[in-house]
Amino acid sequence: MLRYELKKVFGRAGGRIALAILAALLVGASILAVRSVPWVNEAGVEERGFAAIRRLRAAQREWAGPLDEAKLRAVIAENARIAATPEAQSEDWRVSNIAYGWRQGFEPIRELLNCAFAEGFRSFDACRADRLTPDDAPDFYPNRVRLLKDWLAEEGAELFSQPEKDFLIARYEALEAPMEYDYALGWTRLFRYLPTIQMIALLVLGYLVAGIFAGEFQQRADAVLFSSKLGRSRAVRAKVGAGIAIVTLVYWALVGLFTAIVLLCFGADGARCPVQASFEGWKCFYGITNLQKYGLIALGGYLGGLVILLAAMWVSAKARSTALAAMVPFALLFAPSLLLNLSSASVDKVVGLMPYALLDMDTTLSAFNYLYRLAGRVVPSAPLLFALYGALALALPPLLYRTYRRADLT
Amino acid sequence: MELKLENLTKRFRETAAVDGVSCALTEGVYGLLGVNGAGKTTLMRMLCTLLRPTSGAISWNGRDIFALDAEYRAILGYLPQDFGFYPEFSVDDYLGYVASIKGLRPAAARARSGELLRALGLEKYRGRKMRKLSGGMRRRVGIAQAMLNDPRILVLDEPTAGLDPGERIRFRNLISELAGERIVLLSTHIVSDVACIANQILLMKDGRILLRGAPEELTRALPEKVWRCQVGRAELERCLREYRVSNVRTTPGGAELRVLAPEQPLPGAVPEEATLEDVFLHYFGEKGDGEDAAL
Ligand SMILES: Nc1ncnc2c1ncn2[C@@H]1O[C@H](COP(=O)(O)OP(=O)(O)OP(=O)(O)O)[C@@H](O)[C@H]1O
Ligand SMILES: [Mg+2]
Repeated sequence: MLRYELKKVFGRAGGRIALAILAALLVGASILAVRSVPWVNEAGVEERGFAAIRRLRAAQREWAGPLDEAKLRAVIAENARIAATPEAQSEDWRVSNIAYGWRQGFEPIRELLNCAFAEGFRSFDACRADRLTPDDAPDFYPNRVRLLKDWLAEEGAELFSQPEKDFLIARYEALEAPMEYDYALGWTRLFRYLPTIQMIALLVLGYLVAGIFAGEFQQRADAVLFSSKLGRSRAVRAKVGAGIAIVTLVYWALVGLFTAIVLLCFGADGARCPVQASFEGWKCFYGITNLQKYGLIALGGYLGGLVILLAAMWVSAKARSTALAAMVPFALLFAPSLLLNLSSASVDKVVGLMPYALLDMDTTLSAFNYLYRLAGRVVPSAPLLFALYGALALALPPLLYRTYRRADLT
Repeated sequence: MELKLENLTKRFRETAAVDGVSCALTEGVYGLLGVNGAGKTTLMRMLCTLLRPTSGAISWNGRDIFALDAEYRAILGYLPQDFGFYPEFSVDDYLGYVASIKGLRPAAARARSGELLRALGLEKYRGRKMRKLSGGMRRRVGIAQAMLNDPRILVLDEPTAGLDPGERIRFRNLISELAGERIVLLSTHIVSDVACIANQILLMKDGRILLRGAPEELTRALPEKVWRCQVGRAELERCLREYRVSNVRTTPGGAELRVLAPEQPLPGAVPEEATLEDVFLHYFGEKGDGEDAAL
């Protein structure tokens, strides 16, 4: 039965075109990801591609290890040495690019210094590291907490309740120093590209599963289905199963292949480093490693996508319209962006629990405004999202089954 | 083996599509005859558990069919009036799928669909996509799917719609072959489809069963007589207006009419043997449905 349900979906030209679109997406995103990182060679010229990635990785891996005071001092000193060279001071960008090339090995650490020694929590100065001396190094970790505290005491004061402030500060203070640092470009590329891939996959999957239930009515095949022995029991379960199987297989094939391609090209180094050890995750208050963050993004996309698509299938079963069902993912994805324009704290909190938040896990994990009170404790959105949508993912299939099998035809 | 309808009624808002139908069906071929909108499809959909009756009950061997649920549907075969299918499925895929939702085991399903495809002359099309089949072939596939589970109750809603005369004759023979130890209920508004194969005719009008009986009984019980008469061109118009005319054949001088009337309508009119078409005309036609009945 399941086999025939899959055949109904992929037998259509539309079904195969949808798969072709996803394959094109995979290839396109892989090329973009590989070409997104330049290596500046000895002549100050940018190179891109596999060889460039290999060189960059070799240069950055030399700085791998605990990000302790000694390493920070070394980076500051080396950075200062390069900054003092005639090449670095040259007005000609082609020449100054040569100096940038020398810095590439420790550039991620230099970016962390820019963050740690920024003027304020929300400001950023791309040249801040150049004005540091090795003696500043011990302030690196304390500064991260201090900037947050200052911000929460001033500009951010209105935005959070006292328990929320305490929660954020406690989370910041919990970061273990020194952090384990490594080249982690494979992971950060994944964090960058996965949300887009997940959303496009969701829209395409919406198109694929929209017809599973409504199609029977539209093709007027419902009468034979519902008058058959298993038409109101196992045949319906097979449909629900086909929907879940399609979502699961297509999603994990796409995400799995993209992950494999990116990690093969960039390397999987830095899996066990905390996310705070790279520029993108510096402000994150979740104590997680790159590998864990990847897991949250991949699983979050799956769970959010599954719930959205189950909702789409429910609309397909209830409204008997493929078009309406295919629009559900659009509505659920784009409603939050309309709401966000209203920009109020309570709207934010709602948006933080919408399925969109699961699909854009990268943003959710660094969002400060998605904090909730639960049994007197402050809880961030990520665990709530997984609990809430995990429950929905379990509750929706039986609901879908009941809705469809009761279809009393008119 | 008894399918019993008791005071069966289905209302759609104010209209009663089926209005207090009571009858019992046992083994045999039943022709459900009625004009468009008589309620045939509505009645059949209730028999196939696709519609819930507004009131009344349907029972199979004394048990309510909606309570029997899957047990009842297991012995049911249904060819809907607008028979839908999956355009991308091949004939084999389609029958394989329907066999699976009917709960047939794969091996049994293959054997059975092979048998049916042979019987229906579809063997060489088994690999062809459903959307590439002609209307007649599709309908044959429709009959094959209905027969897959060797149903005790076979419901065919206008199975001959859209078939050419040759197909129609083949189809009639097929139904006679399929009839056996089962109830076959087939609806049509085309009298000749059921005249010679049905053991029983159910005449349906405005949601009610007007008349029930074997074709010979119905023709015998016709309250009017059938006359053949020659009329000139001048009288033709008037005759068509005044009498129920079941057939007009133009002749060089005017026309030869087949007229239903209690008494001799015109001097020189000759009495004829009544047919089922005349019965149909008597109950349904002023003149309007003569076209259908004549088919
Ligand atoms: N779903 C529905 N909603 C409202 N009215 C309906 C519905 N289905 C049927 N009807 C009405 O019920 C009446 C009987 O319709 P039905 O389709 O049963 O007739 P039928 O005898 O099968 O006609 P045909 O020969 O045209 O197929 C019609 O007046 C029709 O308009
Ligand atoms: Mg009908």
